[in-house]
Amino acid sequence: MQVAVERRPTLIFLLVLAALFILMSRSTETRVLGETRTLFERTVMTVFSPVPKLVNTVGQSFEDAYHGYLDMRAAIEDNRRLHRDVAQLTRDNLILRRSHGDVARLRSLLSYSEQFSTPTVLADVIMLDTASRFKSIILNRGSDAGVEVNDPVMNAQGLIGRVVLTTRDLSKVQLIIDQNASVGTLLERTRRQGVVRGNGSGGVQMYYVPSLSDVQPGDMIATAGIDGIFPRGVPVGTVVRASEGKDLFKTIYVTPGVDFGSLEEVIILHTEKIPPEIVRYTP
Amino acid sequence: MRWLRYVIGLIIALTLHSLLERFFPNALAFFNPYLILVVYYSMGGNLLGAILAGVVAGLVQDAYSGAIFGLHAFSLTFVAYIVASVNSRVVLRGPIAFGGALIGSVVINEVVIYILVNILMKQKIGMFEQSLLLKTAMTSVFGILVYQLLSLFLRDEPIEAMRKRAAY
Repeated sequence: MQVAVERRPTLIFLLVLAALFILMSRSTETRVLGETRTLFERTVMTVFSPVPKLVNTVGQSFEDAYHGYLDMRAAIEDNRRLHRDVAQLTRDNLILRRSHGDVARLRSLLSYSEQFSTPTVLADVIMLDTASRFKSIILNRGSDAGVEVNDPVMNAQGLIGRVVLTTRDLSKVQLIIDQNASVGTLLERTRRQGVVRGNGSGGVQMYYVPSLSDVQPGDMIATAGIDGIFPRGVPVGTVVRASEGKDLFKTIYVTPGVDFGSLEEVIILHTEKIPPEIVRYTP
Repeated sequence: MRWLRYVIGLIIALTLHSLLERFFPNALAFFNPYLILVVYYSMGGNLLGAILAGVVAGLVQDAYSGAIFGLHAFSLTFVAYIVASVNSRVVLRGPIAFGGALIGSVVINEVVIYILVNILMKQKIGMFEQSLLLKTAMTSVFGILVYQLLSLFLRDEPIEAMRKRAAY
């Protein structure tokens, strides 16, 4: 009796193993037939299913949070990169737009300078002083480039002024809007000559045109080529108003062709000057 | 109390199984948490309890793995019976004894599975020796760590606690 009791676990063990072997055989058969889960297997799975489900839910949440974090980091990095790109592109765009403007301006300036048979020098304006009493600009070309005092300065819009001072690499230009500047000019429509001079308030006026002359608003004014400095035919401006003056001459207000507030590149025209002895000679 | 511990242990093993399946799918080829549980429980020396623990743990493992249903139940029951039989005669204590029992158990478990797969499916498990070596090492190391942690937190020698009530 005692022996039977002691052997009972071994018997149970063998029976369990036999039962499990049968279960395995059955499972193997169902696998061959294509059924992967027996009823018993499904029952075991169902009983313990909350555990994998919970693990799956928690794992999914952690995974989502982790991927969300990674996506956020990536988005932040993308955002930074895009900001850098935008800054770079804005800078590039600015450079291109400036270059585009430069090309158009220089092209018109070059084609204009080709009209002249005399030597020309292209120069950049490096200082602009149109606000003070003396209206002048400083150019980055001087005597080394062949610039001389009294060389006319212009751009595609018209006459700017004349060189009044040169160093080796710089030159100073007196603008036509300066009160002390004088330019021999003529009205293109009537060929009536006069003198254009700065009026001291940033504009110019044409002087010495007789009161009986025909002057209309919109008349174009150009250099007359009679002052020994400026060549003939360079546009100076347009008449905006002409009225009877106090004396024998008309008061003519002129809008300069050049916008003196936006000067960048100019042409210096190297003209042949009249020798001083001829100018001073009196018969 | 012992059964409650076992059920908790089984849930932890299943959780570990699910986690590893999800995040490290190949990890279970080198590590068997159910075996640690069964050996830990069987070292109490209770033969019937060990058989039941082996069957239940094995069936759960089978249900959630792609193996033939009953394969791990068979091998774990076999292991549980041997470990319990040995412990009903010889008192094995401490982590080294537990580690030794684990090493032996892994080897027996894998060999039983190898034979069963051979018989039932007429297949041979590839890279068996390498897999056995890795599984033995990793399961033993992890099992000893678990044993130490349980000893630390339960403040009770688990085998002794079970042995007091061992029936056979």
